[in-house]
Amino acid sequence: MSSDPLRSSLSTLTDVQRRAVDWDGGRLLMLAGPGSGKTRVLACRIARLLDGTRKRHFRILVLTCTNKAAMEIKTRVAEMVPGLEERANATTFPGFCEQVLGQHGAHLHIKSDFSVYSLPVDRQAVLEDALRRAGGNNGTSREDVRYLPLIDSLKERLIAPDRAEAFLSGANGAASIDAGHIACVYRLYEEELRRAGALDFNSLVFETYRLFKTYPVFPEFYQQSCPYWLIDEFQDTNDAQYRLLLSMVIGGFRDVFVVSDDDGIGSEWNGASMRRTRDFVRKVDCEVMQLPTNFRCPPDVVEAASRLTVYHGRRADSNRPAAPTATVGHAANPDEAPVRCLVFSTDAQEIAGIAGEIASLDAEERNGTAVLARRRAPLQAVRDALQERDVPAYLDLRRGDFASAEVRWLAACLEQVRRPLDRRNMALLGRSFEQFSEARVDWEEIASRSESEGVTWLAAWLDSVRGNGAEGTDDALVAPVAALAAGAITPAAAADQVLTCLERRGADDDLKEDLEAWRRLHGDAGSGNGDLSPAGFLPASPPAPGAVTLTTMHGARGREFDTVYLLGLAEGILPSCRSIRTEAEDGGAAMDEERRECYVVITGARRRVVLSRARRYRGTETQPSRFLAEMGAPPT
Amino acid sequence: MRITRIEIRNFRSIRHLAVDLGETTVFVGPNNAGKTAILEALRIALTRRWGQRGTGFTEYDVHLKNDADDPKTSPGVSIELRAEESKPRESAALAEELGRAVQIDPVTKRRFIILRVRCAWSEKSGAFEPTWEFLNITRGPVRDQAAQTRLERFWRHLPVFYLSALRDASDEYSPRSQFWGRLLKSLQIPTSVEARVQRALEGLNEDVLDADPRLRKIAATLSETTRIAARERDGGLNLRMAPLKTWDLLSKAEIVLRNEPDRPWLPLSRQGQGIQSLSVIFLFRAFIDHLLRELYEPESQPVLALEEPETHLHPQAVRTLWGHVEALPGQKIITSHSPYFVQHVPFRDLRLVRLTANGTEVRSLPATFATTIPALDGMDTFVAQSAGRLHYEKRSTTLTVRGALEREDYRALLALCGGHDRRTELERTLQELRDRSSRYVTDDELTALETYARRMRGEIFFAERWLIVEGQTDFLIVHALAQALNYDLDQHGVAVIDAQNNGNPTTFTVLARALEIPWLAVFDGDAAGRNYRDGISGRGFGDNEMERRCRIHSDGDLEAQLLADGLGRELREILSHLGVPDAENIGDDQLPARLRERKADYAALLADRFRNDESLTDRAPVAFRDAIKRLPGLT
Repeated sequence: MSSDPLRSSLSTLTDVQRRAVDWDGGRLLMLAGPGSGKTRVLACRIARLLDGTRKRHFRILVLTCTNKAAMEIKTRVAEMVPGLEERANATTFPGFCEQVLGQHGAHLHIKSDFSVYSLPVDRQAVLEDALRRAGGNNGTSREDVRYLPLIDSLKERLIAPDRAEAFLSGANGAASIDAGHIACVYRLYEEELRRAGALDFNSLVFETYRLFKTYPVFPEFYQQSCPYWLIDEFQDTNDAQYRLLLSMVIGGFRDVFVVSDDDGIGSEWNGASMRRTRDFVRKVDCEVMQLPTNFRCPPDVVEAASRLTVYHGRRADSNRPAAPTATVGHAANPDEAPVRCLVFSTDAQEIAGIAGEIASLDAEERNGTAVLARRRAPLQAVRDALQERDVPAYLDLRRGDFASAEVRWLAACLEQVRRPLDRRNMALLGRSFEQFSEARVDWEEIASRSESEGVTWLAAWLDSVRGNGAEGTDDALVAPVAALAAGAITPAAAADQVLTCLERRGADDDLKEDLEAWRRLHGDAGSGNGDLSPAGFLPASPPAPGAVTLTTMHGARGREFDTVYLLGLAEGILPSCRSIRTEAEDGGAAMDEERRECYVVITGARRRVVLSRARRYRGTETQPSRFLAEMGAPPT
Repeated sequence: MRITRIEIRNFRSIRHLAVDLGETTVFVGPNNAGKTAILEALRIALTRRWGQRGTGFTEYDVHLKNDADDPKTSPGVSIELRAEESKPRESAALAEELGRAVQIDPVTKRRFIILRVRCAWSEKSGAFEPTWEFLNITRGPVRDQAAQTRLERFWRHLPVFYLSALRDASDEYSPRSQFWGRLLKSLQIPTSVEARVQRALEGLNEDVLDADPRLRKIAATLSETTRIAARERDGGLNLRMAPLKTWDLLSKAEIVLRNEPDRPWLPLSRQGQGIQSLSVIFLFRAFIDHLLRELYEPESQPVLALEEPETHLHPQAVRTLWGHVEALPGQKIITSHSPYFVQHVPFRDLRLVRLTANGTEVRSLPATFATTIPALDGMDTFVAQSAGRLHYEKRSTTLTVRGALEREDYRALLALCGGHDRRTELERTLQELRDRSSRYVTDDELTALETYARRMRGEIFFAERWLIVEGQTDFLIVHALAQALNYDLDQHGVAVIDAQNNGNPTTFTVLARALEIPWLAVFDGDAAGRNYRDGISGRGFGDNEMERRCRIHSDGDLEAQLLADGLGRELREILSHLGVPDAENIGDDQLPARLRERKADYAALLADRFRNDESLTDRAPVAFRDAIKRLPGLT
């Protein structure tokens, strides 16, 4: 009886989907386009495997790109086979590596209670500590903290400190950078991480890769304890994750099921991710199955979008658009055409024009409408323009952090009260405060005071800042935090006082938006007991009914709307200047990424796509986006 | 997977003890030496509900060094169990289920699990707080949120069954008992059969009631009960002569047996103690064979902790018992006080338990010896070239040597320490390993002992000290002499080993060294005796050691020695008494030869004389007398 939800789920699958769910032919690469139901296939496959092995206890390894995707799969599995979802070990690559190292890291001298530093500030603090400890030996200086991104990219390529010098000098030929010096900074950073008993995000994958390469018994171990593996979003794995995956399937492991986004419908395999896909098929010798797209959008949209992918991966020097093979935007009633192109003379007019058009829609239509742009600034302008026309709009911006230094500082203060020993957060607190105030504190002094007097870092910092007093510190801002640290008021009250003070001081756009977001999340929820940690600031709550969704292209990935307005289709805007500039260097990888994003958001439209551009942006003449030509849009 | 090692700290009589366990392991030792403590430690670790309050150990379980010691200041009880596969990929289901608790040895590819349970006084809670965790190869805790679930799975795979020395057949065969009760409960009776049985029971009841009319009348009288305690509707009362329900019938099931065809069938409770005790062991077997897989997991490996399987049994029965016990499924951990049982236990499975000033200690005859030493430069290469003699596990930094550490290997290892900054310390470690491994007793020697010394074995493993002599003559004389000197060898736990009849004296000395049993040897002052002495000395005993432990008669063989000691007259009398006609007349030079012809006979009579005439001991061979004097307190 308990398998009923599973049966009914299976019965709704298409034949091809069903074939993928029931696949038992060994290693498989499934090419799935957007809307092909791949998440459903994955969840059904997991549920079916679990249902067929109810007496067993093994877990199925499911590697996804985000924790959210992992949760979603797990939730769907739970709906189909309740109680068995615990046997789905759905996690991300780093999450899996954390499990592996927690279990077997001892073989690489990693203590099982290591902590993971994922925030840039944490890692920066580690490197700063390392450089301080080196004390200028080896010719290092505090300036070398700037090499952190370079170190990150070395680790992403699985290059250890001892190989870094050779790699860097090899990669740069003439050696415009001091390879030996960077390698040394890298080594100091790694040693400091070890000393702190910590791993950063990149080391999770790197160390696991080392473990698997050094002792093949460990991948075998996981092949036995997790006899089925499913890898989602294969095209999004980075180099390190890809090589880790290759090291895991040694010995011809059979039951690996890889899902890769296939955005080149009907096109031949090209593009960076396709090169990897092809490499994988060749190296592990697997079957390939195509899961055809089951589009929600009209055929014209599909056609326009898929023409984009034809250009995917073309070399920069041969980047001449082919003559349009079809035209779009010529339906009987132009407003109803599935794909329309709008051209305005200036960016301001583009905003006004789009807002005007949306304002003429009825509430229900607006509700299913989204305005997308590459950056958030035009979206804010659209929001303002819509508000002028009394059209409710909802700016759905996904941010890992606050834009304004002030609110970052407030969040760090609240966090520091919760976790008084968190040095990294303390550093963030201090740095963000210095960004918007004149206050400069002596960190050595704070550290030594904290130690000698046994007070918390926050207390020592507060003393120091308030002691400086008059000079550039607004005590009205700091006083509530001091009261909170002393336990005199609640976090909510402290936050409220700080926000009021900030509002009174006058705010720029970033700060204004952050303040609004804060009020929206915590103000309504009733003050006093809300979770005031930054973690509470996940994507904002859903918009009011009838509101137009305004979001960045990145934020719109994987989402569906009735009508999609895509703004700024001009060279230098979309594609961005950066992608154009780097095209020669990176072989068009960044360009391809933008093209892909375009493709994904356009195919998220259920009914209509409106592509818009202006002839002038910020007063500068621009050319129509190459993407327009590629899609076969008529030149205007 | 089975338990390969148990390490115990501060538990009852044990201060610190690490014991390797095999498929079958037999602990022997005097009462109160700590055998039961070892079994209990195992049982507690594998059966208590760790993580719940009020479980684990009590203050009485904490090892105390002396009367003034306070359990609250002790670092606490710690028991560490290592369960390991005997071959790679053996326990697939367990590995699936135990997830992160499972570790794997990258070299042997065998999976293992280390569980540590601890209990120490907590000031905060004012109680003995139990804690437990799974450990990795460096014995660091494994990070695992689902550890509690895993522990329960672990138990299901390694269920422990405990049969104590005081096992009582009437308990073990009760309807609520661990084996019998569960066997009965598991019985599945088809509904149709149950209905038939029900009808038969009714019929039987009626038959019995009808057999004597008084029964009905009694029932009628008794039914007044229900009338007095009346409710609104009438109750009823009936007499039940047969069981009411099928389950009731089953719960009354019992074993009846007879030894011979024409004897009456008798219930188990009417049988002798030995049969009762034995039947419990076979009940365990029935349980494992028929119910374990059903109640536990398809791959469950039972662990049987069995105290004194020989209880109440006749020696002949005890001798055959080993075969049956060994054949029991799963891992067996046994204690025994029976020489007859121990006779058949392979040497390497034996563990000698002793109570010393350091608490309970265990001696065994290991095939490998291990030490902890950091990875030295060139170690990997060297170990790889050792043809399996050496093994190095990098993460736990464990160097293991198979058999004795050979001189060349030892020197090469010393050389590897050369550049190390803790050189002296490492050299000491290696020296200790060499010394310890030099006690290795080879498989060949043990095989030889299996052949010659089977009967002897039972006895010598229960002895406190060994006195090794050549033959039976020496055996008889030494025993008598010791009695005459007021040091009864049996009473003081001294085993006299007549080595010639049981293989080779050297083997016994090597065995004694390995098991740390104090020993002395006395041999004839002839070529054979000197050969024995040289043989022993050739096994790595130093000059001092030889001087202290090994004596040779100064005047030739035993007969020559007895004559030289001035016992000529007594020996002639004995020979005459034995019917040697010219015993009184032959020359002193011929006397030894005559004595040798009647060795056992003369020795028995001379032994009698020693026993009856204390003054005669002054003329007994001085090597014997010295040895007997030195036995008390010998180390």
